[in-house]
This record gives sequence, C-alpha cells and structure tokens, in this order.
Amino acid sequence: MNATDAGICPYPAGDSSLRRMAIEAADLGFDSVVAVDGERCALEGLVALRGSVISGQSMRDVLSGLRRVSCATDIVFVDAGNLTFNRSVIPLRGIHILRSIHTTPRNSFDHVSARMAADRGVAVDISLHPLLHSRGSARQRVIQRYADILTLHRRYRFLLTISSHARSILDQRSVRDAEALCALFGMTSEEVHAALKTVGTLLTPRQPVRVLE
Amino acid sequence: MRPRPPAMRQKRRYILVRILPAGTHPDSKQLYLAIHEAATSLFGDAAIGLAAPAVVFCDGEYAVVRCLRGTEQDLATALATVTFIGDRRIALRTLATSGTISAMKRRMKPVCQTGEASEILLGEKYFTAYHYPCQKVDLIEKSNKHQKLLFFTETDMEER
Repeated sequence: MNATDAGICPYPAGDSSLRRMAIEAADLGFDSVVAVDGERCALEGLVALRGSVISGQSMRDVLSGLRRVSCATDIVFVDAGNLTFNRSVIPLRGIHILRSIHTTPRNSFDHVSARMAADRGVAVDISLHPLLHSRGSARQRVIQRYADILTLHRRYRFLLTISSHARSILDQRSVRDAEALCALFGMTSEEVHAALKTVGTLLTPRQPVRVLE
Repeated sequence: MRPRPPAMRQKRRYILVRILPAGTHPDSKQLYLAIHEAATSLFGDAAIGLAAPAVVFCDGEYAVVRCLRGTEQDLATALATVTFIGDRRIALRTLATSGTISAMKRRMKPVCQTGEASEILLGEKYFTAYHYPCQKVDLIEKSNKHQKLLFFTETDMEER
C-alpha cells in the first residue's frame, strides 16, 4: 500500500458508489482507500478497506463504540476532542487514527499527546476536505492547526495519514494535488508520501521478534 | 504598435485541466471567475496579480489556463480548490503543464458517451443515466430545480 486515501464516504453517505470512487482513486494515483462504513474488497486494481468512525464526547461513548466495531473493520477512527479526551483515547487498544483534529481547540493535542501517539502507534489524520471547502479565516485556522501538528510530528515522529473525506468523486484529489495542498502548511513531498503509506503500517504494526522453533 | 521582441516578452505556462462532471459545459468567463475566486482566496491579491491567470480555452470537457512562468505550481494548487462554478458543483483535474497551447491540445482526448441516455427509477425518483467509458454511469435527477447528481458504475446499476 504505497498511496492510501485514508477516508472516503461512499453512497449512501455520499453521492458516489464505492466502485466509482475506486475507479476515480485509481486514476488519481492511489492504490488503496479506506471506505467509512464500506466493505473490504478489491476493485478496479485497488484495495478498499473498511473503516469505522467512533464519535463521542466522553470515554464511555468511545468504549461502547469500540465494543460495537465489528471484526470486519480494518481501520478504526475516533473523532478528536479536547485535551483530556484525546489523552484518554490514544492509549486505548484497537484505535488506529485520531481524526477531525482541525475541529478541536488548539491546545487539544500537545506534546504529551504526541509522545503517547508515537508510543502507541496511533496516527493523526490530515483531512484535505476543509482545505478545499472552507474559505477565509476558517481555512487559515485549519492551516495553522495542521502546521502545529506537523511541528509536533517532526519532533515526536508519530504517524500521520492523509484523507480526502470525499463524499463524491468531485471531492477526490490526486496524489499530486495532495502534495500541493499539504505544501500550504509546510509539509514536504517526502512527508506526504510517508503519510500516504501509513495505513499499510497501521495494518501490519511492528511487533517484538518471535523465535519459531 | 510593434510587438515586443521575444526576449522582452514574459514567459507563460499553460495548464491543461479536465472538468468534472462530464457534461457541465461552463463558459470561459464562468470558469475564469471560479478560478480567480479560488486563487485569490488561497494566495491573496498580490500573488495572483503577479501570476496573471487567464482561461485561454474551454470546450466543456477540457480547459487551458494560462499563467506566468514560475507561478504554475501555485495556480495548480488553487485549481484543486475550485469546487463550484456558480451554483453547480465541479472539480478540476490538472492533467499537464506546458509552454505551448498546441502541446496541451495534443493531450486532449474527447470524452464520448458509450450509449444512449436512458431513464431509470431509483427509489422514488427518476434519473437520466449517461454512460461513459470504464463502466462509468452519471445519473442526473429529472427535476426542474436542485437536480441531484449520482455517480455509479454499470455493475452498481446491475446490482440494483
């Protein structure tokens, strides 16, 4: 998995079917996508993984959401919240990606959370959707937030993912567009390509060496 | 007035973009306004004033956007942020950048429908289905206003 769009929302959440989005993603240079509430399958030379989103304001919501996640789910997302929430969620087993970080207050993901995310192998998602669809001060805030996340990433080396959060083929962007959009907040081409490979890393995490006799 | 000698002219770059969805057919002015709004919003008046963007060609499926050399990367980024023309949702896919328009025109391949448009019932709504290569099917709701667009494939249609 060299280039994965870490979050698309196919029909009925959006207006495009998973197959059509897979064709479009393959044309745009991706080799895999994570379809939120989709199904795991191989389509048009592209691997579609199943993702589930847990949205909750409290730990109780997240824990009950984790219990409901089926075993067919490949990637589990949690919507980020305030500082306490994020610090509580990151160590939980079974959570892969913290998303919607741009909607949270500025101090909600600090150096302690960054170190915890790096230790636990939890990725932080960079969504291209607000960069495309917001304008003015709202987009400026998103760029500031992503630049802050990037600074922490460079210091603590936690994982980043890049997603389009596309609900339509019209929201999907190419790998080259992702590079150009991420360059707005200072992300280099190498960092973008590393972030596009992160989903593969999350599926096959590093484990201690086992001696087989 | 005599034209400037070639060495004194500003060097330009041309960006070829494909307009999605097929059949949108915006005119050059509408497209220019959409690109100008997106670029100004992203980079500001000063940067876009120096880039001097212009739409030199627009045939509905493809468009060629001109800018000054050195600003093509910024303009390509701005093109990725164009999401509306007027009140219609669109997307612009950057395909190539070149120094001549003829090089761009060589890369334009016409997008043809693969069959007749047909009428289908989906849920309780009627849609007109337009078929395109690679099994793509675009569905446009039959309604006077707020026409809903759906993007499916032939396989999706057979499964329904």
